[in-house]
Amino acid sequence: MDISLADLAFIILAGFTLLTALGVVLFKNIVHSAIMLVFSFLGVAGIYFTMHAGFLGLVQILVYAGAISVLIIFAIMLVMNQDPEKTNLPSPNIPNIMAGTYLTILLVGALVGSIWFTSFPEKVAPVSGDELGLLTGLMLGDYVIPLELAALLLLVAVVGAIILARGAEHK
Amino acid sequence: MEHWFTDIAQALVNWLMGLGLSAGWADFVLLIVQWLCIVMIVTINVIILIWLERKVSGFIQLRLGPNRLGPYGAFQTIADAIKLLTKEDIIPSRTDKWIFMTAPLFFIVVSVMLYAVIPMGDGMQVVDFNVGLLYFISIGSLSTICLLMAGWGSNNKWSMLGAMRAVAQMISYEIPLAISLLGVVMIAGSLRLSDIVVAQGNIWFVLLQPIAFITYFIAATAELNRGPFDMPEAEQELTAGAYTEYTGMRWALFFLAEYTNLVAVSALCATMFFGGWQGPGLPSWLWIIIKTYLIMLVFMWMKWTFPRIRMDHLMSFSWKILLPVSLANLVLTGFGLEFFKWMGWW
Amino acid sequence: MYGKGLLKGLWITFKHSFEKKDLVVRYPEQMPHLQERFRGSLAFDFEKCIACGICIRNCPNNVLSMETAKDEDSKKKKLMQYTIDLQYCMFCNLCVEDCPTNSLYFTHDFELSQFHRDDIKRVYHRPPELDQQEAAQKTSDQDTQTAADDKKEKQLRAMINAINKNPQKVLARVLDGEEQVEVLAAVLMADEKKLARMAEMMITDKEKAKKVALAFVKKELKEREKGGDQ
Repeated sequence: MDISLADLAFIILAGFTLLTALGVVLFKNIVHSAIMLVFSFLGVAGIYFTMHAGFLGLVQILVYAGAISVLIIFAIMLVMNQDPEKTNLPSPNIPNIMAGTYLTILLVGALVGSIWFTSFPEKVAPVSGDELGLLTGLMLGDYVIPLELAALLLLVAVVGAIILARGAEHK
Repeated sequence: MEHWFTDIAQALVNWLMGLGLSAGWADFVLLIVQWLCIVMIVTINVIILIWLERKVSGFIQLRLGPNRLGPYGAFQTIADAIKLLTKEDIIPSRTDKWIFMTAPLFFIVVSVMLYAVIPMGDGMQVVDFNVGLLYFISIGSLSTICLLMAGWGSNNKWSMLGAMRAVAQMISYEIPLAISLLGVVMIAGSLRLSDIVVAQGNIWFVLLQPIAFITYFIAATAELNRGPFDMPEAEQELTAGAYTEYTGMRWALFFLAEYTNLVAVSALCATMFFGGWQGPGLPSWLWIIIKTYLIMLVFMWMKWTFPRIRMDHLMSFSWKILLPVSLANLVLTGFGLEFFKWMGWW
Repeated sequence: MYGKGLLKGLWITFKHSFEKKDLVVRYPEQMPHLQERFRGSLAFDFEKCIACGICIRNCPNNVLSMETAKDEDSKKKKLMQYTIDLQYCMFCNLCVEDCPTNSLYFTHDFELSQFHRDDIKRVYHRPPELDQQEAAQKTSDQDTQTAADDKKEKQLRAMINAINKNPQKVLARVLDGEEQVEVLAAVLMADEKKLARMAEMMITDKEKAKKVALAFVKKELKEREKGGDQ
């Protein structure tokens, strides 16, 4: 089988992403899990890079690895008050385990099914020239209203979070 | 003089191709050589920079600075580096060992990665990425995680406080930093750093974007955790912040990474606002070195002049002044560009 | 205007960095000027010390310690060794202040760092010169003693001779009446021991000699009376 450099990179990155994702689930210390999550994000960003989606990969790093994961780690650190080695144990509750298993089967089934029933073209034509310009054109041209709506949604979420945290003034 | 380094790289590639390697593999080897060069430059630079920092601080405080070892104390840092290399690597017993041990490594890796996109001369860029600026900012944002790892792993309240301050500060200042750079991107019309340099052929962007330059400079100082924004370290209250528990080489790696970041941010500043490697007479790589060093001198000058700012002032300065100013600059730039186009001057 | 102060500060530091840097003392080449009462390392003068131990009792950090021995001859405390463990010293001055002979004092030596902990300790052994000096002192004392004894003996012999030769004249110095003098002379001639004692007393203490002489005479007269009765 002929393996090109790009294939090799994809295999390495995919393996890295999967391993770190497993680490998120299996580590007993939840802080370790959170840091594994960062690496998992980085792996996903790397896969974007191999697919010539540099912008997307960098946004993935900036937003997920750089900011969201810090938030997650902060939240964990602020609420954790027990032995860190026992913070991410599997649930002893049987119904919880059942629900988790059910959800996993459902998700895996949906994923496999969607891959199975989608007809992938044999070879996707590479985006010619300025892929960044194309992306911008789509985001700020054809899909500008969904983008702005998403921004508005985020703004509302931020304001709501501030009100929840500080408490609204009652008149 | 101008093409020394590009000629060397071309010769290396040609030699490798002559040995029978394919073009891709030759480029790969060249990439590795370039990385090694960057690491070397970074290390040597840090040795010079620490000496310079101590000299500048001494001069500002009416002292002489290091003056014992070698001419003007130039070998002092080398002696310090040797000392740090030979020191015992102490890992406190109740730390989160793996996080504690790997945090400085990730920090230095992240700092060195910043250099991939900086144009260090005409055609001297490891990767000419089409979103180079975004790459710089997003990779720079990863260093917060490393600091958080160091603070958490140390299992020490000072380290943790320092790390939390560092993270809060860096995340807050990243936003005005990015937004102030957007003004430049709008004028240059590209995120590719080499394009931005070329766009400054006639006029430096510092003249077109003075507000952006000032906001960038302030935000960059905060991003670097340098004085007057060195709250995360704040020796007087937190001993050394996230670095408190580190000794020997691991501590040296943090130090190395901090100065590496300083060089990178200064080089980016030179690239974005001062015309990058463009300049008359001298070769391009010398121009960027001169500009970077001048900017770093200003960073040092500021650090040793201003007293440290309180943490809440720091945060409110970022969110209440710097962010609105940089946003206003962005809007102004947009209107200005349209106005210029409308008048037909652009 | 905002930022005016910042620019002012930057300008000040800018100017400072080009000023002449003559505020600092370039220490190893150029020694700093130390004030007279500067407390550098603690020093000890062995010859002045009288081994009273006040300094040791005063020291809050147990810096000082000494070893003493008892001098065989004079039954006095003799200082053998004095130790200043400078690593614990906080230069509080309590020992120096209370030293009665000023044998402890602060010097201007401030270069106290050493490679080994033991080197910080300063041990003063009893200098052998001191013992030699003391021995010399003793022998010279003895010499003068013997010389004085010789002189005394000479005087005594001269006195005895004088009394033997001319008792009337010499003994008149201690007794008034001629009769008494004669009695005393007779007593002294009869007993040589009494003669020697009398002579010695006459040299050293005249008053005592007078009293003793009177006593001798009275006793002699009584004995004579008794003898006469019989």
